[in-house]
Amino acid sequence: MAKVEPGMEAMLDTYLFESSTLLEQLDEILLRTEQAGSFTDEDINEIFRIMHTVKGSSAMMGFESLQKLAHKGEDMFFLIRENTNLPDTSFVYDLVFRMSDLFKAEIDLIQTEDDYVPTDFSNIIAELENGAAMLSGEAQAIENGTAPPVPGAGSQPAQPAKSFDKDCVTIRVIFEHGAEMENLRAFLLLNKIKEEADVLDCSPADVENNPETAAYIAEHGFRITFKAEDKENVFKTVENALNVESYEVVDNKTPEKEKAADSGVVEDSEHRVNAPQKKPAEKEPAAAAPPAAANAAAQHGGGSGKQSIISVNLVKLDQLHDIVGEIITTESMVISNPELDGLQLESFHKAARELRKLTDELQDTVMSIRMVPLSGPFQKMNRIVRDMKMKLGKDVDLVIEGETTEVDKSIVDNLNDPLMHLVRNCMDHGIEEHAEDRITRGKNTKGYIKLSAANASGEVIITVSDDGGGIDPEKVLDKAERNGMLTKPRNEYSEREAQNLITLPGFSTNEEVTEYSGRGVGMDVVKQNIEKCGGTVVVESKVGVGTSFIIKIPLTLAIIEGMEIEVGGTIFTIPISMIKQSFKVTSDQIIRDTQRGEMIMIRGVCYPIMRLHERFNIPSDVTNFEDGILLLVETENKSVCLFSDKLIGEQQVVVKPFPPYFGRYNIKAGGLSGCTIMGDGSIALIVDVANLIEN
Amino acid sequence: MSEAKEIAISKQNVSSGGKNAIRTEKESEITKVLTFLIDEQVYGIEIPYIIEIIGVPKITRVPCFEIPDFIKGIINVRSKVVPVVNVRACFGKEEIEYDERACTIIVSHDNVSVGLIVDEVLDVLSVSEKHIAETPELNHVNNNKFIDYILEMNDGIKLVLDIQKLIFDHDVAY
Repeated sequence: MAKVEPGMEAMLDTYLFESSTLLEQLDEILLRTEQAGSFTDEDINEIFRIMHTVKGSSAMMGFESLQKLAHKGEDMFFLIRENTNLPDTSFVYDLVFRMSDLFKAEIDLIQTEDDYVPTDFSNIIAELENGAAMLSGEAQAIENGTAPPVPGAGSQPAQPAKSFDKDCVTIRVIFEHGAEMENLRAFLLLNKIKEEADVLDCSPADVENNPETAAYIAEHGFRITFKAEDKENVFKTVENALNVESYEVVDNKTPEKEKAADSGVVEDSEHRVNAPQKKPAEKEPAAAAPPAAANAAAQHGGGSGKQSIISVNLVKLDQLHDIVGEIITTESMVISNPELDGLQLESFHKAARELRKLTDELQDTVMSIRMVPLSGPFQKMNRIVRDMKMKLGKDVDLVIEGETTEVDKSIVDNLNDPLMHLVRNCMDHGIEEHAEDRITRGKNTKGYIKLSAANASGEVIITVSDDGGGIDPEKVLDKAERNGMLTKPRNEYSEREAQNLITLPGFSTNEEVTEYSGRGVGMDVVKQNIEKCGGTVVVESKVGVGTSFIIKIPLTLAIIEGMEIEVGGTIFTIPISMIKQSFKVTSDQIIRDTQRGEMIMIRGVCYPIMRLHERFNIPSDVTNFEDGILLLVETENKSVCLFSDKLIGEQQVVVKPFPPYFGRYNIKAGGLSGCTIMGDGSIALIVDVANLIEN
Repeated sequence: MSEAKEIAISKQNVSSGGKNAIRTEKESEITKVLTFLIDEQVYGIEIPYIIEIIGVPKITRVPCFEIPDFIKGIINVRSKVVPVVNVRACFGKEEIEYDERACTIIVSHDNVSVGLIVDEVLDVLSVSEKHIAETPELNHVNNNKFIDYILEMNDGIKLVLDIQKLIFDHDVAY
């Protein structure tokens, strides 16, 4: 069986890396909180975010078992978050650590095994369910003012009184000689049996946590008392379990005697069977997963890392980038050194050309390391929409625009989760439940979700919008009021403010928790991640019309395609996307108005002319229209012709913000959004066309 | 240069009388100061503020009417964009063309880097407490506000600048 669906292989590495990083984070938090003895709200929110993301990406990759596992873990913490001040959460740690270990083991498995078979996590899931039930029971108990259930029940399933009636069977299982870790095997077996029967008792009881029981089991076997309607089925399960040498049914009434009679003389001896003599080759592909997972979980950390993606500190990339810039500057200093003038240097120039080629390549590589198009995270959404469409039964079209927009790696890293949550939100809350609702609102029965990205005035603007039901500010306020999230009187909230309340942690208007949303984590993740890269999220919504989430991230490190122009010796870069055309004119084509304003008529439209040297107050020799060049630039609502001395050329540039020293001066309003260092080491100023025209 | 400096310091020690006489000869050095020339007056900047000293590179002016004249623009210092201040202009003195002796001293304070264009960089001096003279309280020299303290060396007076004020207190520059 292929690990993942065709087309998803490319994402497998990312998924593996992301998930293991997140799980490591989870362990870190758990260890810390366990030491501290309590969960802070922040910790729980963070754990939640991790579980949520792991769950989502597992689902996306089609690893159903992992998704289920994460979902259960999430349920657990959901209870903790809802009911803070639980008296005893220590068993939660055991459970969650084990879950995390199994998860990691499974991820290792996916990574290393060519024939990956999903592990059955039903046992741990059952335990998690149990734990969750305990938690909610405990929470209930506190609410009712009664004492919590008997302490020490721990992760063991609730055990009814040992009533050894007729339906009960006790068996003793002997494991293969030298199987090692008999306690874990016993535990796995126990969990298997639990699926089919009610396990009442086992001996030794603490196989799960006590490795010392292994020796006892090896010697005396493992006793399980269970109650089942179909005993034969259970026997079969035991027979087929791994490493089981043999089992025997023992008499309930005389357990002590039985223990002593180790000779093998037993009643019901017809039930005694020899475990099938499986050949190792036979059992490997079919059932390798559970023990492998258990082993890996037990000797956690022994896996070999085969990742082809590594995470590099961005600071190092910055350094690398700076150094490359220096090399290029130094290179031109060496090659065009004035001391070389007039010398016959044939091989020097040959070597210099070689060097230039290499440094160009180096620069390109370094740039490409940092810059990634948004198509990656955008394409991921296709999959999510497709899956959710089927599960939610909503017909939705996903439209993607501007996915070639390149942004810095750090931005993409922080965009993955937010986009996933936003798209899920749109699918789950946004688009109307029933097509009829859409029809009555006069909309196409097919829902519409748009994902778009664009560079605009020094920012990357990413919009996730749907044409669904919109956000009802009253509902939001109701919910916020109930949860005590309002910070000012309710009637002082504007519609927009109310709608933006949904970005608060723990907020969800969905009454029911579904697989996709409703826990109120999503928007929180969105906001946090966006704020990490200095951006903002704004919700714009109209009831009945649709909702747009507008993410704006400053273009600090983004790359833009720019046109370099010169004005009086100063180099400016104008984003190429703003330029409609460039052309030469003669003075007699210029229309002059009464206030010294100049205009030009192009194809029947009159455009004002802005002389850049005047606008920026730069002395320039080029003041005649015949000597310079006009650039027609266009923003959303205005077009202007810029007059410059000359065009230098097109270049990809990395946008750098102005030094913070200039923070007190409003340079942006003056029409400049940043600067860039060019190949020769000189600085070009990046024109903020929108502000240039407006002010 | 350093030899000359040592001689200068020892001379100072010998000749210093009056209020410094009671101090021991082995007064510990408290800081080092880079001295430079602006309009024939020697100024100093404490070494810890200084990142590096370079020539005067090509300066890109940032056209914005709000930016005062003494901020000349931005330069590329090893792929970092650093603003440059002409100290002459900042002190309200007449600007001169940058010659080959003119230098840009890159200083950093609170993670803000600024290049200071000076006429000429002179020397690095070891400064001990005995060299520090009281700063006169009321002095109507208009650049007094940038001065942290005054050094009295035997080869003359050196005015050590307060980088914090020099970099940030522009609103009161004139």
